Amino acid sequence: MATAHAAVATATLAAPEGPKLISQRERALRTFASNRTAVLGMVMIVAIVVVALAAPLLAPHDPLQQSVRDRLAPPSVDYPLGRDDKGRDILSRIIYGTRIALLVGVVSVLLGGLLGTAIGVVAGYFGGKVDSALMRLTDVLLAFPELITGLLVLAVLGPGLGKMIIAIGLTIAPRFARIAYGPTLALKETEFIEAARSIGVRDGRLLRVHILPNVGGDLLVFASLWTASAIRLEASLSFIGLGVAPPTPTWGQMIRDGTVHLAAVPLYSLGPGVALLLTVLAFNLVGDGFRDVLDPKARA
Amino acid sequence: MKWRGSLTAMLALAIMLAGTMVGLGGQASAQDAADRPVLRLGVNAADLATLDPHYASGTQDRTVVDMIFNGLVRYAPGNSAEMEPDLATEIPTPEMADGKQVWTFTLRDDVTCQAGPDTDAYPLTADDVVYSLQKSANVDRSAYAGDYAGMTVEKVDDHTVKITMDEPLSPTLFLPKVANYAGGFIVCSKAVEAMGDDAFKTHPVGTGPFAFESYTSQNSVVLTANDDYFRGAPKLGGVEVRYMPDPSSRELGMQSGELDVIAGVNEAPWVERINSDGQFQADVFGVAEAVWVNFNVTAAPLDNPKVREALALAISRDEHAALRGEPVSELIYSVVPAQEMPGGLTKEEAEAAGVLYEQDIERARQLMAEAGYPDGFSMDLVTSEMSDYRANYEVLQAELAEIGVTINLNVVDHATMHEQIRNDVNPIVIYVAFRPNANVYLTNFFDSASIVVTGSAPNANFSHYSGIDDLIEKARTETDPEAQAEIWKEANIQILKDLAAYPLYMQNLVYARSPRVDYGHELKSSLALYPQITEQTTINAG
Repeated sequence: MATAHAAVATATLAAPEGPKLISQRERALRTFASNRTAVLGMVMIVAIVVVALAAPLLAPHDPLQQSVRDRLAPPSVDYPLGRDDKGRDILSRIIYGTRIALLVGVVSVLLGGLLGTAIGVVAGYFGGKVDSALMRLTDVLLAFPELITGLLVLAVLGPGLGKMIIAIGLTIAPRFARIAYGPTLALKETEFIEAARSIGVRDGRLLRVHILPNVGGDLLVFASLWTASAIRLEASLSFIGLGVAPPTPTWGQMIRDGTVHLAAVPLYSLGPGVALLLTVLAFNLVGDGFRDVLDPKARA
Repeated sequence: MKWRGSLTAMLALAIMLAGTMVGLGGQASAQDAADRPVLRLGVNAADLATLDPHYASGTQDRTVVDMIFNGLVRYAPGNSAEMEPDLATEIPTPEMADGKQVWTFTLRDDVTCQAGPDTDAYPLTADDVVYSLQKSANVDRSAYAGDYAGMTVEKVDDHTVKITMDEPLSPTLFLPKVANYAGGFIVCSKAVEAMGDDAFKTHPVGTGPFAFESYTSQNSVVLTANDDYFRGAPKLGGVEVRYMPDPSSRELGMQSGELDVIAGVNEAPWVERINSDGQFQADVFGVAEAVWVNFNVTAAPLDNPKVREALALAISRDEHAALRGEPVSELIYSVVPAQEMPGGLTKEEAEAAGVLYEQDIERARQLMAEAGYPDGFSMDLVTSEMSDYRANYEVLQAELAEIGVTINLNVVDHATMHEQIRNDVNPIVIYVAFRPNANVYLTNFFDSASIVVTGSAPNANFSHYSGIDDLIEKARTETDPEAQAEIWKEANIQILKDLAAYPLYMQNLVYARSPRVDYGHELKSSLALYPQITEQTTINAG
């Protein structure tokens, strides 16, 4: 909990308090709550998580149950979005696809976030050769577009869910490193860090207790935005055919398979496309909300 | 102003006279060709690969060379089951001389080689035929040299060619070598010699109804009517072959009137959709590719016949065939499709031999238990991303899941799959292929010499099967076509008894055309893999 307090504490330094005294946490909540689109985004994320967790209850059919003879059947009461090219229920596959989307989005961002933050904070704090080495590496990785980095990593590792998460994590890590690096550089020179160091606090503890919590706010904003990017990237990689192995339903794969039958069964591609759109939108809205809370300069 | 009018009239008369005189000088036929419609054909490829007929193997290349070249004999246009004379006056019957088989062909005397970039048109003679078949037999100048081993071609006189086979062959196996397909296409020797083999690849010169005019990379090949064609001047002025890999673009091109004939999508719903609005006609025709499953009979646990039978009984042909839908797909009961060629098994024949293996999940589970796998097993398989392969593997994955067999699919690009399965990565291989006769199917896929990696001449025997070597050899040297077909059937039954493979379905070709296009023949099957455009093909006025 100290973490959250410290994070907000730095954020509020630049914004003098009004006459009415309220707790910082309450104020943060209020700022977020007053942003209607952010709240909408949060509600959507909660709904998406519920769909993912309750997929077996919500899906009307087994997403893997084939019946090729009924392939590309139009929407009906039993199959509200119709059937795919192997006669599987499109709606059920979209519902189960939510799990992969969230899993990839959240886990790859966690992975990329941990790795990237560690790189950024270490480079910023220690400076010198460590800084040059780590940040130049980061710059090289940043020079490639996300999709290309993802492709490169997958080309080396081969396709698969775990490998896809690693690939996306590695794509995102240098971006986190950049975000963590700047504030660390600034913090390192502040008086409270010098004070801590002067009383003999070791580097490890200093990083953990004083530096990390203070860059956490920025990272949180970008984590939510990049979750959206990660989900999009997963769909793109699946679309190219490098994604999760069949028969696991993923949105990108569905959109790709559906394009062949766009004229006959438009919902085959459109359904997962809309699901993808809503999910990415939700994370983006929440990310914007977080930024408003944590970045006083952006506040209107 | 009267004088001015008569002056104009005189001027017009003079121009007309001049025009006629120029016309007499040889422009008449060109004028004529320009009056005839040009057929615009949208093919499913981004570009040509080669137009040397002795290398052409891509669908898009077979299409073009079919219009430019002839063979000594030909598959009747639109019906590849029938063979008829082409450059030869008749199909000869072979004679035996000194223990060798001799085929003597008499050439037509009205065949003209088209003009090439460096050569004028000239009458085709036995020299061209000998030159061409020797080129086909030369491994450095042909992709089909293997088919011409043990064959000697000699000129008897200008219009007679003698072909001697070291090993006697039935007409079923011999005639394709000299037919209008692959190595059998006859090239014009003077043109090839003048240009060199490389230039010939993008400027083919033959004897057919259409002559090569121009090629624009990744765009089109333009052919013009060869009015000296021995079957008569084409009714079309020419053919423009457009390279358009995207099916929607081709369809839009046809709808907007920019294309007359297009390669379609090999799926029943597409055929129905095109035919339902009555504006265009979709045609379904052979030759069809066979689709089947190979089981590696030497790799555990598939080396257990009970396991293979269980897998076979878990499969439903109908489910796989539904991926394309009738009439695009037709069920097959041996890897050699009986509908297409002698030597295949019909449903009745397979049933009589007890090798039908219709889906029976209960029995399959029981067999798994008897084989010691009551809970099934799991297996990693590589599949191509191409839908023909991936979709069939995914259907198989769901079918085998019913009897507890878990298939982990690894989707790779098409070329990688071909490489990997030839490196023996998959104990189960689904394969999609057309081969021109039973001998080639059986030799490529089930002869022990063709076993991948370990065979003496590794090809595509993914099953590691060696149970019909003697039958393949016996059939190859049988000169009576009917007896030969019986041996092939016997071989097919043996493959199924041993469950080295499980035949699924064959998939036909689909093309669509404007109803104004009349191919000039019935369209049943074409080895050239397109509907075939000949001198008889017309486009009727609006």
